[in-house]
Amino acid sequence: MNSELIVFLVLSLVAIATALGMLFSKNAVYSALFLVLNFVTVAVFYLLLGAPFLAMSQITVYAGAIMVLFLFVIMLLGAENLKPSNALPWQKPLAILLSVILGVEATYLLLARARSSLSVTSPDAALNTMDSLRNMAETLFSQFLLPFEITSILLLVAMVGAVVLTRAEKGAAK
Amino acid sequence: MTAPASTTTIDLVSRFPEFVTADTRPGFSGFIVKKENLVEVATALRDEFNFDLLSSVTGVDYIADNKMEVVYHLHRTTGGPGIVFKTQVDRVDPMEVPSLIDVWAGADFQEREAWDLLGIKFTGHPDLRRILLWEGYEGHPLRKDYQEAFFEEETKPFKSRWPEGHHTYAEFKNPFRDNIKLPENFKLDNYQPENEDQLYFSLEKSSMKHTSENQMGTDHMVVNMGPHHPSTHGVLRVAVELNGETITSLKPVMGYLHRNHDKIGERNTYLQIMPFTDRLDYFNSMANNFGYAVTVEKLMNIPVAERAEYIRVIMAELSRIQNHLIFIGMLINDLGSMYTPSLYAFEERELILDIFEAVSGARMMCNYFRFGGVVRDIPADAMQKIKDLVHDRLPAKTDEMERFLNENEVLVGRLKGVHVLNAEEAIRNSVTGPVLRAAGVPYDLRRADPYSVYDRFDFDVAVRYNGDMYDNYLIRFDEIRQSLRILEQALKQIPEGPINSQKPQYQVRVPAGEAYGRVESPKGELAFYVVSNGKPNPYRYHVRAPSFVNLTAVETMCKGTKIADFVALLAMLDIVMGEVDR
Amino acid sequence: MDWTMWVEWIVKGFVLCLILLTGFAYLTWYERRALARIQVRVGPNRAGYQGLLQPIADAVKLIFKEELTPGHVYKVVFILAPVLTVVPSLVLAAVVPLGTSFNLFGREITLYVADVNVGILYLTSIASIAVYGIVLAGWSSNNKYAMLGGIRSSAQMISYELTLGLSFVTAIILGNSMNMIDIVNEQRGLWFVVIQPVGALIFWIATLAEVNRAPFDMPEAEQELTAGYHAEYSGMKFALFFMAEYQKMIVISMILATLFFGGYLGPFVDQVPLLGPVYLFAKVIILLFGMIWVRATWPRIRYDRLMSFGWKILLPLSLAIAFITATGILLADVLNNQLFFWSIPVVSIIALLVAVAFIYRDLRRKSHGRI
Repeated sequence: MNSELIVFLVLSLVAIATALGMLFSKNAVYSALFLVLNFVTVAVFYLLLGAPFLAMSQITVYAGAIMVLFLFVIMLLGAENLKPSNALPWQKPLAILLSVILGVEATYLLLARARSSLSVTSPDAALNTMDSLRNMAETLFSQFLLPFEITSILLLVAMVGAVVLTRAEKGAAK
Repeated sequence: MTAPASTTTIDLVSRFPEFVTADTRPGFSGFIVKKENLVEVATALRDEFNFDLLSSVTGVDYIADNKMEVVYHLHRTTGGPGIVFKTQVDRVDPMEVPSLIDVWAGADFQEREAWDLLGIKFTGHPDLRRILLWEGYEGHPLRKDYQEAFFEEETKPFKSRWPEGHHTYAEFKNPFRDNIKLPENFKLDNYQPENEDQLYFSLEKSSMKHTSENQMGTDHMVVNMGPHHPSTHGVLRVAVELNGETITSLKPVMGYLHRNHDKIGERNTYLQIMPFTDRLDYFNSMANNFGYAVTVEKLMNIPVAERAEYIRVIMAELSRIQNHLIFIGMLINDLGSMYTPSLYAFEERELILDIFEAVSGARMMCNYFRFGGVVRDIPADAMQKIKDLVHDRLPAKTDEMERFLNENEVLVGRLKGVHVLNAEEAIRNSVTGPVLRAAGVPYDLRRADPYSVYDRFDFDVAVRYNGDMYDNYLIRFDEIRQSLRILEQALKQIPEGPINSQKPQYQVRVPAGEAYGRVESPKGELAFYVVSNGKPNPYRYHVRAPSFVNLTAVETMCKGTKIADFVALLAMLDIVMGEVDR
Repeated sequence: MDWTMWVEWIVKGFVLCLILLTGFAYLTWYERRALARIQVRVGPNRAGYQGLLQPIADAVKLIFKEELTPGHVYKVVFILAPVLTVVPSLVLAAVVPLGTSFNLFGREITLYVADVNVGILYLTSIASIAVYGIVLAGWSSNNKYAMLGGIRSSAQMISYELTLGLSFVTAIILGNSMNMIDIVNEQRGLWFVVIQPVGALIFWIATLAEVNRAPFDMPEAEQELTAGYHAEYSGMKFALFFMAEYQKMIVISMILATLFFGGYLGPFVDQVPLLGPVYLFAKVIILLFGMIWVRATWPRIRYDRLMSFGWKILLPLSLAIAFITATGILLADVLNNQLFFWSIPVVSIIALLVAVAFIYRDLRRKSHGRI
């Protein structure tokens, strides 16, 4: 057992524990905090895989920016301790059904893959070069240029949408 | 220049012959209006006779005649003498008088005060709650048949403190529990203070969230700023309803420093009141002394020694300068600067307080004025200090502060264009002082209705026209400069001579009658309404405190603004809680 | 892995924490004395020579002060929040190089804790996590003022993080690396502040907002929010917030010095490597004085103006600066003409002047309109 495996096992435990904590917290703020912890754990996984750039981006974007906005909304709405409501009565059975299907599927794939010679590819050389920012940028701006631009436009549209939403309220106030 | 006469030439009786009579009691003036027609007469006075500024509303309990009287003092913002009219109601509860809040919004707090302290019910007032005392208080303390806990006698000096003509300390003879009166069936153990539902109900009622502007249906948050809040300048509490950072409704709550100054005044002799006036606006004890002295001198009809008039003016103007310096320093403090400007302002203020200490013996509670003059002459070295200050140091330091502050981008960005009050709103809410002048109304009592020797000086009424915070801020510098001009002339013209026209005396003889004296305090129009019945103590003593009346406008000013501006707007009014709560 | 390396890491980390903690203590003394000089006062001068023992007296007082935990707070988060605020401010300094390296007992000791090749990204990610302490402190206090403070700070920090990131980008482009040691070495000839003065200025302004210093000290606006998020804290828990703010001031000045002012570089630093930390220290002290000076003289910007300043002026300006820098470098490389390189500062300053003109236009417009 090498040290990396130990770290991996401990981190997996933490990741699972935080994910469960997020699901079962009564208080929405605690849920959000567990999620932050989960994101940070995932970032450390990236570090283990030799992708520090992704790790740092993960923390900055998800843990740093997005979750702060989540917290912001929860706190502003005072939604920390909302009563469990049955707004969607069919939601619970459906969720159980879907997760059972997912579980079965995952088990099947895992067993099928494990039996076959096609093992899950370990982080190979191609992925490891990603730690160089230059390579990553080159890939992003040549090979994946179209998806990149589409994502940018999507974000821009979302931004404009947010601006329009707040504008409408102001216009009504005047 | 207008004539200094305070009588009026307006013939209200012939205008309303059916229900207005002249007040013919000896020493009294003005008109008595039937209460049923009060609103009609008031509207006519405002619209036909142009008395646009409601100066004061107060009540007097004439228990011997079984009458409760409400006294209204009106003035014109164009200047000149005012008019007083009264209305009387039988002294049987409920004593109902129609509210004038629709004619002058400035009647709001003053009517609430009259309700609180005298129990006069103003019908039609939308929010008639107690203002200085708390909900659930038993009785109305300014009524003549009200006796407070620890009541000993009607007037001072109390006999218990002078057994056989010798003074004893009150601490040794504290008659605790001998004369304390509790309501029937009162048990301290199960005492539950009244809740504040009324306050929050009225906050809710005047909220903007019921208007069509709130389409999003957002949640509003009620925040209590104060009484322990660093920027409400003392123990003012403001219940604020917020939509995000925007104020949708607010109600000031005051009275945490209330000591019933009016009642103290009725207990004390005329001269004993003088040191109590120091405690009103504790930054400007000289101005408070001035107002009270002017009122009682009017009542006594005595002249003031010539030299004393000049000394009074010098002291009042020095007081104005230090008040405005503190205002500027503390305003910028409220804008979030780290004390630097206020410490520069304090440095100059200390020098002015040195002068007050040299002439009166006290830095803040001066107790310097006497009826007919002042208590001591200015010592020669203090006179030299004043000259140095006025001629050299203060002008230079004012320039320096202006140079440092006026162009600061953050300051300009926060003050410019943030609306305080326009002229119309200010007059309607009875706002006086620099705030009114910054809105473009050149109403300064030193010019509009000159008292003392102000008509002998050449100075301009500082006035600015935008009515935003930046103008409100700049006008303080303008006033400092004008005060320096007055001081220069006063120091040049001051004659030699006695400092008091009367003999030094412990007890003054005041003939029966009423008087309303007002001065331009740095915060606005400071007025005293004193009714005498010829005894050594005033029968009724009322202070029209500028801070208190100016606070009426805070709701108009602050609704719809940001919470950060609220702090600065409150600072603009320059309130002092000692004066608001009295 | 050799065990001496572990020892070295631990010792270096310990020393760095010690430097920051002492630095925090003496920064309070420095600030109080400097403020006092500006405000015609004397400042603390009683405890020890020139009041130099004052920070120790303060620390003793704060440690022995009673800790109050109000009854209505969310306990766990309430206690966690100060810790979450202090830790990022400490670990932030790990990637800042204090110097090159020197020999001790025949062993080469480097003067930095971690040589991370994405050092600058590390800084942004830690800085983005630092918000949590304040937000959670505001929420867990269960108090309206504290909550408003928490919300304000989260909004403010997110807004200014973008600007901060873009000024990092400027330094990355100029240094051609994300490693802070490489960036310092790039500045051997010329400090980046000369090439990109506007970038340094933007960085400085954004960091003021990021560490909640005046004139951006919105979250703790005493006059409006009665100290904001730390209103319910007392004793050592309060001191931790205080500590975090001052440590962040130090670290952020270190970063600014490293990215734009040549870091540990100075005369004879190659011959005597121990001079490196001294030079960095001197630069940090000067930069810190700038922060104190601003605090002493400027009022606070109103919250909505602060946001519009961040989004409408600072963000476009920093975008323009990043673009100008990249274009200048690229053109100088491609056309092999140093003129393009030297046009970077000129064009940047023009962009700055345009931004300033916008601010003034805004001010002038406000003075005419009556709301």
